[in-house]
Amino acid sequence: MTSTGLPLRLDAVSKRYGDVVALAPTGLDVAAGEFLTLLGPSGSGKTTLLNLIAGYVEPTSGTVEIGPRNVTKLPARQRNIGMVFQNYALFPHMSVGENIAYGLVVRGIAKSEVRRRVAEVLSLMQLDQFADRAIQKMSGGQQQRVALARALVIEPDVLLMDEPLSALDKQLRRNVQLELRRLHRKHGRTTIYVTHDQEEALVLSDRIAVMDEGRIQQLGSVDDIYDRPANSFVAGFIGESNLLPVTVTSTVGDMATADVEAFGRTVTLPASPGVAPGAPARLLLRPEHLLFNQTEDGVPAEITETVYLGELSQYEAVLANGQTLSVRQITDRSIQAGTKVKLSWKPDHARVVAESPKTGGPI
Amino acid sequence: MSKLPVWLRTLSNASASLVLGFLVLPIFAVVPASFNKASYIALPPRDYSGIWYERFLDDAEWQTSLFNSFQVALLATAAAVLLGTLAAIGLRRLDGRWRAGITALFLAPMIVPVVVTAVALYRSALDAGLSGTMIGMSLGHMILALPFVIINVGIALRGVDDNWVRAASGLGGSPWTVFRTITLPNIVPGIVGGAIFSFITSFDEVVVAVFLAGYSNKTLPVKIWESIRLEFTPVIAVAATMMILLAVVLFVVAQFSSRNSGAHAR
Repeated sequence: MTSTGLPLRLDAVSKRYGDVVALAPTGLDVAAGEFLTLLGPSGSGKTTLLNLIAGYVEPTSGTVEIGPRNVTKLPARQRNIGMVFQNYALFPHMSVGENIAYGLVVRGIAKSEVRRRVAEVLSLMQLDQFADRAIQKMSGGQQQRVALARALVIEPDVLLMDEPLSALDKQLRRNVQLELRRLHRKHGRTTIYVTHDQEEALVLSDRIAVMDEGRIQQLGSVDDIYDRPANSFVAGFIGESNLLPVTVTSTVGDMATADVEAFGRTVTLPASPGVAPGAPARLLLRPEHLLFNQTEDGVPAEITETVYLGELSQYEAVLANGQTLSVRQITDRSIQAGTKVKLSWKPDHARVVAESPKTGGPI
Repeated sequence: MSKLPVWLRTLSNASASLVLGFLVLPIFAVVPASFNKASYIALPPRDYSGIWYERFLDDAEWQTSLFNSFQVALLATAAAVLLGTLAAIGLRRLDGRWRAGITALFLAPMIVPVVVTAVALYRSALDAGLSGTMIGMSLGHMILALPFVIINVGIALRGVDDNWVRAASGLGGSPWTVFRTITLPNIVPGIVGGAIFSFITSFDEVVVAVFLAGYSNKTLPVKIWESIRLEFTPVIAVAATMMILLAVVLFVVAQFSSRNSGAHAR
């Protein structure tokens, strides 16, 4: 279990069902050993993309390459992939050990070798004492580990995971996320992970591909996605955000000058690609990057609601034009509903982003 | 149920018992009748004896018909299980619109009056040279039994998660290996249930058998049907008792096999 899997390359793969485009032509390069997450709401095309890689769905166009092999035309069983399903899809008529051994047995591997490798993966997943246990007698978290063990034991070139934690309760999910990260460091296999949970994506991933409407909206590191979102969908989907409509008047390099109607003033800020005069755009202000200050150049607002979250508080502030902004700051007891404040922000934390047809929101 | 007033519950239990008795008692009445000592059927018998069982077992014609029935039922069951299982798997893979129509077609033998099926089979059997043969009768019974297999296996297949099949093929299993190791073990209870219903359907079927049986290969129900018009001796009750016994045994087996299937269901 020392190899790191193989790189994965998708070239213009797409999938249509009749007139419905499940996945627009998409290219993607994943390095050997990388942990890449496909993050998006349901219907965004992330599961279609995963199934295309697995070989469960045949692409309408494009090619899928795993390492040196073009596997576009190969069925799933010839791709040497390991898949963990959302409902685990463990075989109910087999014990834990038999489930894990399945991929080795159908490959015709000698019994002694099967036993050795199953034992190895059982101990990696801390399931040693459960080899003979019936699947129905395992808890949700244990079943999840069995499913992962069954996928890993065949030493897949690429490990695919389809929302594997969605059936677990919140506390357990947290633990399993950390466990998955630890395991990935250990087995080091190329991993494609599908989820709609942004927190999960942020904890686990080397890179994240944010998907919506059958397209990758942005592909980048956790920092890229959070600090430099490509458009208003990504900005809205990852983390919390205030997105104010703006009119872009000019751009120079990666800076844009825009009129912010809600503030009644003009700003010059870093901009995402695709921002251009005349094209619809938004000003992104993260709640934690908005500051209260008493200087004259702040934007006047009135606090309408405060929610104490302990050390931090969430404030709702309404602007002169009626627009509401969320602010998250160190709790200040002097700020209450009705308090008049001036809002400002650090220039390197505000950003003009292109407006996508649909603006994401946390789910 | 428990919220009903006592008198209403008593009434409901009493009427349920009455209906059950009405349905079952006449059938089991043949059991004491078969132990009559006299040479006619009477209830209750004045004197008991096993003499008609001896007569039944000594008579070559009764024995042959019993043997024929087993043979036809086994052949019909084997064919119905094979084709019905394949049909159920095929139906599951069809998309909704086609599935409903074709399922109705497969289940038609259950709905079409048996005599209509029998006449149609008789005509076709003549053309095919299968009239009066064991094969002809077995094929006729297979058609009647097919719906039971398709229904039972169809229900069992609904318990097979598509993701099990996908997982198994992703792990390297060929379609046949995946069927043998994943799908089949999970639908065995449905297949067993379908097989038992097929066997009972064929074993006690008389209409198609009357049309298709030749002189030398009568099944037990055909022999009973013919004998009852010539003589009304307790040997007919013996034959009927044999059939009831077999049906009860098979029914109990079917119940057990479906109970065991519950253990694997998620």
